[in-house]
Amino acid sequence: MDFKLTDGQQRLREEVRGFCLEHRTPEVYEETFWNHGWGPASREFFKKAGARGWLTPTWPKQYGGLESTHVDQLIIADEMSYHGLRAGMVGAGMAGPTILRFGNEEQKQEYLPRIARGEIEFALGYTEPQAGSDLAALDIRAVEDGDEYVINGMKTFNTHCHFSDYHWLGARTDPEAPKHRGVSLFIVDLKSPGITIRPLWTLAGWRTNEVYYDNVRVPKNNLVGARGRGFQQIAVALDFERMYPIGPLTRLLDELIAYAKQATSRGKALVGDPIVRHQLAEVAADLEVCRLFVFRLAWMLDQGQALGHESAMAKVFQTEVEHKLTHTAMKIMGPFGQLARGSKWAPLHGEVEYHHRWQVVETIYGGTSEIMRNIIAQRGLGLPKGA
Amino acid sequence: MDLALSDDQQMLKETARRFFEKECSKTLVRELLETPQGHSPDHWTRMAELGWLGLPFPEQYGGADFSFLDLAVVLEEMGRALLPSPFCSTVLLGGYPILDGGTEAQKVSLLPRVSAGELILTMALLETGAAYDPDDITMTAEPDPEGYVLNGVKLFVPYAHLADIILTVVRSAPGEDGGLSILLVDRSSPGLASTLLKPIDDAKLCELSFHGVRVPRGNVLGELNGARPVIEKALARAAVAECLQMVGAGQVALKLSVEHVSSRVQFGQPVGAFQAVQHHCANIATDLDGARFLSYQAAWRLSEGLPSAREVAMAKGWVSEAALRMLSRAHQVHGGVGFITEHDLTLFFRRVNAAAIAYGGSSYQYGALARALGM
Repeated sequence: MDFKLTDGQQRLREEVRGFCLEHRTPEVYEETFWNHGWGPASREFFKKAGARGWLTPTWPKQYGGLESTHVDQLIIADEMSYHGLRAGMVGAGMAGPTILRFGNEEQKQEYLPRIARGEIEFALGYTEPQAGSDLAALDIRAVEDGDEYVINGMKTFNTHCHFSDYHWLGARTDPEAPKHRGVSLFIVDLKSPGITIRPLWTLAGWRTNEVYYDNVRVPKNNLVGARGRGFQQIAVALDFERMYPIGPLTRLLDELIAYAKQATSRGKALVGDPIVRHQLAEVAADLEVCRLFVFRLAWMLDQGQALGHESAMAKVFQTEVEHKLTHTAMKIMGPFGQLARGSKWAPLHGEVEYHHRWQVVETIYGGTSEIMRNIIAQRGLGLPKGA
Repeated sequence: MDLALSDDQQMLKETARRFFEKECSKTLVRELLETPQGHSPDHWTRMAELGWLGLPFPEQYGGADFSFLDLAVVLEEMGRALLPSPFCSTVLLGGYPILDGGTEAQKVSLLPRVSAGELILTMALLETGAAYDPDDITMTAEPDPEGYVLNGVKLFVPYAHLADIILTVVRSAPGEDGGLSILLVDRSSPGLASTLLKPIDDAKLCELSFHGVRVPRGNVLGELNGARPVIEKALARAAVAECLQMVGAGQVALKLSVEHVSSRVQFGQPVGAFQAVQHHCANIATDLDGARFLSYQAAWRLSEGLPSAREVAMAKGWVSEAALRMLSRAHQVHGGVGFITEHDLTLFFRRVNAAAIAYGGSSYQYGALARALGM
């Protein structure tokens, strides 16, 4: 057993930190942190990160990776996210790894190097109004027609669609097959004729989308992996998605401790209040568990182990700690905690109020806490599926 | 980063598990808790033969020269087995402080006898103020021509009723800095009396009353007034040892729960098929993994001699709460059968509640953690 990062890993973290501090302009921060997306400034930023191989460090060199470890990858993502640079990365984090694993050579050549260089981004196209947690109920139809598939239907909660280049789409190709067997994965150019994207505004303040497909024609070669195996491929990719870096939580806690040291309540430093001290210490210990849970995932992948219920465990635990952290922040700050960005008296530039609205999303996106616990119980502990 | 046990540690763990499965049934545990000694002298002899009593001590003192991390896997198995034993008091509160702070002569004379199972040791620290903080020690050592005279009360001293030597923490010089010493007090000293307390887990915790107990000058462990770092290290190891035992106990709570909900049928199906029940089990599994990581991280840091105030406080604070959650959820999914005294879960509930308190519960540890985080 050894819980420390190597000297090389420490240096990598320092290097990423230096890079973020140098290149994270206010415009980049506005786009990635406050708007939770990509824009012109952040596209430039991610190209610079991509030039160093930091978007896809574990990939083979021939597709733009560094052939480095998953622990390295997590260190980079963790440090970037600490600096507010946690824009989705669906291409690097989910679509790309799935193409790498299940795609054909032509698809790999076409998409992977551009993802690695930070030139293109993908948006997830899974959820539909009747297919949320029950993803296998998705019903958007892809019908073969010559060298193409023609796609009709709608998606919802497809975050990132309004600024991404490609849609990573789960669509039903075989309506007669059992529902888990009839889904295929497609790469769809979001500029294709027939696609309409409408905003849904979240409580967090950033945008997600409804996406309508009206006779959208997609080349057959854009089907990734085996026809009818999309659901299984999505399940593998979800394990990757659930490897959330803890940078944003670490930073909020750091800022909160710094705040408690300088702020006063009834004439005394906040940090002298035993309740405040206890609450901050408790959430610091929770956060340490989050850190160990997520590093376990990276470590397992580096050992060549498949991720099972461990990613669900990391996801549910971390997102619930995020609730606790922002709630703790709101309590500690008293009436100031509610003040939003732009308000004269808002502590930490209104980040607490923003983060507190944001965390509502986290225990639902990427698999609800209930589904995560089902996975732990059924895949991890071997309990039976209910009647 | 390497989150796996080494092959040697895995082997040691399996040896320990097999030993306890064979030699320490829950029936025996119940019997031992009822006896005045509160442990099995046969276990003691066998553990000495297995080399566990001297596991972390250097070979020159009769030990096996293993690390604290190696010892950690045995401690986890002890928690799983609910072994009633003066093992921790002897090795962690006695042997280690002698190794850390004793003179060469003290090490040579005492440690080989610890390893051989010839001595039971313990440490008397807490007083009526009952805080695990060396600053709160008030018992003084009054100098007299041959050494020191002790008066006062020490509380919650594990296995003091059996211990051959009690490492007694005293304030030997005024002032909060330094001024603490450990005296090696013979249990048969005139004026020293022990009374068993009655804790929730039936462990042998004692009240020790000192009435003019005389301690020769040569019985100061190591340097006079130099005991603070020795005490702090002993408390850190003891706290982490409780964490590891809670991990072992939590592992059993999970196992019993999964077995029970898989076989117990209500409404025509195993109750483990109900989502509400599954989620309790998932929460136990999550708390268990978190507890295991924090405990082993702290054990690893202590083992490597790295600064560990932050990690030890995190571990003991968090694991103490997680262990109580694990047990309460295990009880919930067991339904009525789990709270009948014949059910082993009741033993684990008792043990875990005592372990959560020992060497500082979450309130104490989160206070320490706040300091370690610079607050």
